[in-house]
Amino acid sequence: MTDMEILANAIVLGASALGAGTAMVAGIGPGIGEGFCGGKAVEAIGRQPEASGVVTRTMIIGDAIAETTGIYALVVALLLLYANPIFGSLQSVLGG
Amino acid sequence: MSTALMMLSEAAPAAAEKSFEISGPMVVASWEMFGITWNLTESVIVQWIVMLVILAVCLILGTGLKAVPTTRRQALAEMLISALRGMVNDGMGAKYKAYIPYIGILMVYVMFNSLISLFGLRAPMADVSVTASLAMITFFMTQYNRAKTGKLKGYLKAFVDPLPFMLPFNIIGEFANPVSMALRLFGNLVAGMVIGGLIYFALGNFAILIPAVASLYFDIFSAVIQSYIFVMLTMSYISSAECE
Repeated sequence: MTDMEILANAIVLGASALGAGTAMVAGIGPGIGEGFCGGKAVEAIGRQPEASGVVTRTMIIGDAIAETTGIYALVVALLLLYANPIFGSLQSVLGG
Repeated sequence: MSTALMMLSEAAPAAAEKSFEISGPMVVASWEMFGITWNLTESVIVQWIVMLVILAVCLILGTGLKAVPTTRRQALAEMLISALRGMVNDGMGAKYKAYIPYIGILMVYVMFNSLISLFGLRAPMADVSVTASLAMITFFMTQYNRAKTGKLKGYLKAFVDPLPFMLPFNIIGEFANPVSMALRLFGNLVAGMVIGGLIYFALGNFAILIPAVASLYFDIFSAVIQSYIFVMLTMSYISSAECE
């Protein structure tokens, strides 16, 4: 492996790690959303304690929907760390 | 540097010291048929074990029933079944009685397949092909229910609802549902697996108490909540596909 190739690999690996970390910034959104959802559910249960079953069920579904974008970010981060497609294409460029 | 990133590099020497690794399900056997390579993975084997466990539970709870319950296990079985009926009745409506067995087994199957990680096996739900196949079942049930209740006209009309220019968005939305369902279950369990592995790796020889507390959340709570969510989303997608 020449110095150039080592440099190319290092750049791609470093950029992938940075990309994985940056992707997880998306965790902010679901965090705020689910917190808001939980807070509103507590308010609703406080106002109407007899409806707590329905409110909790609806809250869990709402949380699950709000979580979707965070999960997408997690999948992108995991792809970059463990099954990196960019690194594979770099190898084929360097090899061919 | 023995981080996970080194795994990507073919040229990196095999890390001599202990390193944190995470891998996909192990391939137990593979063979060629019809020009495709078929892999028998760890996930499939673990699912067979879970199926046997569920079968055993069903046989224990479901045999020797009487009209008036006398045994404790029949009382338990009746309690579970009436809870399930109540859930489907609240979530989908009274006319979806035929879906009760599927919803019940889906809940039990997803939950057991997630909780099996407590016994040191790799949870099959941390494999995207397993969750994707369950999400595909939900997708086809949704389409079936729409086609059955709306016939051809109602089925096609649902895609141009409320206005014709919404057609591409409706089509994308229809395919986004199974993708998000599959990735939600997969992502939650893989996140639990990665964090559990990281905690064990970071603590090294001092891994007492702390992994147990983390496992309480990431293995038990997350698995139960995610299976509940999967079932609730399945129910709401199927029943909301109904055409007037």
